Amino acid sequence: MSSTTAQSGLARARRGLAPGGSGGGTLNRKSKLSGQTRRTFFWLLLPSIVLLILINGYPLIYAGVQATHDGSLIDTGNFVGFDNFATVLTAPAFWKAAQFTLWFTIVGVFGSWLVGLGLALLLRTKIPAGGTFKVLLLLPWVVPIVVSSTAWNWLVATPDSLIPSIFRNLGLGTPLFLADPHLAAVMVMIFKVWVSFPFMMMMISAALASVDTTVYEAASMDGASKWQQFTQITLPMIARSTYISWILMTIFCVNDFPTIYLLTGGGPVDATTSLVVLAYRSVFQDFQTGTGVAIAFLMTLTLVIVSVFLYRQIRKSSVE
Amino acid sequence: MSAVLHAHPETGPSLGVAGPQKARRVLSEAGMRGRWWRFTLILAITAIVLVPIMVVVVLSLTPAPGSTATGLTFENITGVFSKTLAGTWLQNSLITTLSTVVVSVAVAAPAGYVLSRGRSKAVSGYSLLLFVMQSLPIITSVVPLFILFAGMGLVDNLLGLTIIYVSSTMTVATWMMAAYFDSIPISLEEASWIDGCSVFGSFMKVVLRNSLPGVLSTAIFAFLLAWNDYLVAIVFLRSNEIFTLPVGVQSFFQQNLTDWSGVMALAVVMMLPPIIVFATLNKYFSVGGIGGSLAGR
Repeated sequence: MSSTTAQSGLARARRGLAPGGSGGGTLNRKSKLSGQTRRTFFWLLLPSIVLLILINGYPLIYAGVQATHDGSLIDTGNFVGFDNFATVLTAPAFWKAAQFTLWFTIVGVFGSWLVGLGLALLLRTKIPAGGTFKVLLLLPWVVPIVVSSTAWNWLVATPDSLIPSIFRNLGLGTPLFLADPHLAAVMVMIFKVWVSFPFMMMMISAALASVDTTVYEAASMDGASKWQQFTQITLPMIARSTYISWILMTIFCVNDFPTIYLLTGGGPVDATTSLVVLAYRSVFQDFQTGTGVAIAFLMTLTLVIVSVFLYRQIRKSSVE
Repeated sequence: MSAVLHAHPETGPSLGVAGPQKARRVLSEAGMRGRWWRFTLILAITAIVLVPIMVVVVLSLTPAPGSTATGLTFENITGVFSKTLAGTWLQNSLITTLSTVVVSVAVAAPAGYVLSRGRSKAVSGYSLLLFVMQSLPIITSVVPLFILFAGMGLVDNLLGLTIIYVSSTMTVATWMMAAYFDSIPISLEEASWIDGCSVFGSFMKVVLRNSLPGVLSTAIFAFLLAWNDYLVAIVFLRSNEIFTLPVGVQSFFQQNLTDWSGVMALAVVMMLPPIIVFATLNKYFSVGGIGGSLAGR
């Protein structure tokens, strides 16, 4: 039991296996959880509760008020019931944005997972200077989007940029990466995968580090092929981390603003407008606060339902 | 969940398998060839992945058109500091980010401790609430907060920005702290209680003192989130001298679309701090904890 990953420690604690004093534990089993302890816990939690109510909770309720009014940033306006929601739900732009958000999320989650998994598996093997590569490959995630989107713009934006020039010199024509609606959508997704794969790589590497490698030796003595070892041992071992990383990345992708906005601004002809970009534009460019907040509110509702559901799923899967 | 072995099944030393010497040597030769093949592969991948970042560095050091400098030069970088308010923006970003880091660790550490050690219905309910709040799009709260902060003079104000950053980093920071505390044996606290220490006292003196990697990991996460934020900054900051780097850099880009040397020089100024932080503290950083604490409760 030398693995100190939080996961295993928790899993043990949850199953009640915590052997005397090693790895976490709860105070409940101790008589120490007196009224006094409970009071200390309350005080320790208080700053976090206050912030959560004021900065996260209050705006959410206020957003509900705004979504049912026809106001602006300055004035709340009149109560209009569900008119804003009706406007939003009947607007083709909303459904187009919802569709793009869906594709962006699917490609973002699974694309970055596949790249991250591949690199994590590769980096687990013995490679000269492997540690250096591991750090270098995290850079896309560490570098601010404002910076990397500029570099990507420099690389692909105009017909004379570096990458289109290379295509032209290879006789492949001059693709307009950010001006063609389909190509722009693909570019945004590639950019998102580029930004996100290091996160996946870190998650999977952490999970792989706790896999006992002697299992592979036993498997290969039993004649299991490399592919069988991968599907029968590696994947199940990292299943829980994978599941969690998918959930987190789904949330990151749906809520993403800078990756899209800074590369394409949502264009051309709204081809890369996601729901967040649409909401941002409604509020701060079209000054339609009510509809903008209604869009955000619909996203919020969907995400609350999805996240509560997923949260229970993770808990269920981790109790097994 | 036993020992963490970094040996690879293919190339690693085969523990306890005493094969014939000859077979073993052949295996290791194949292993060596595999190592260099994988080295080449990862080198190529890394090179391709880092192209955009290298573009920034190279362009920022290349003399601008009309410049008399030859070879590589730092004049673009010194230039943006005299041409723009880059110095002020850098300072604003540092103030906001560092305050965010300090406050969010100070709020998240005690909360994480309660999530780690307490197992009541209220505590797991609070954990679920954090999860839900974290998954909400920030755009939902941005508009109401804008109106609220406008009334309090916190729009176009670094304090207002910091408050939002703290609350948006707090949820993940709390999980990361909780995950780290889970790995600290409770027996340490028990010993201090026997010595007459209070719960709070043992949290401060025993648990927190042994949690440097956890605190650093959380701090790095908060640093990256606050430093890289664009959406909140662009909504809440209005005047040039209050801009943080993301907004300042972006406004400079829009006004100087063809001045790539200036743009990239400013980009270097913006990306260096997170890279320095990450390069020095990288060994403490782990996102594994996020998943662990998520699944745990």
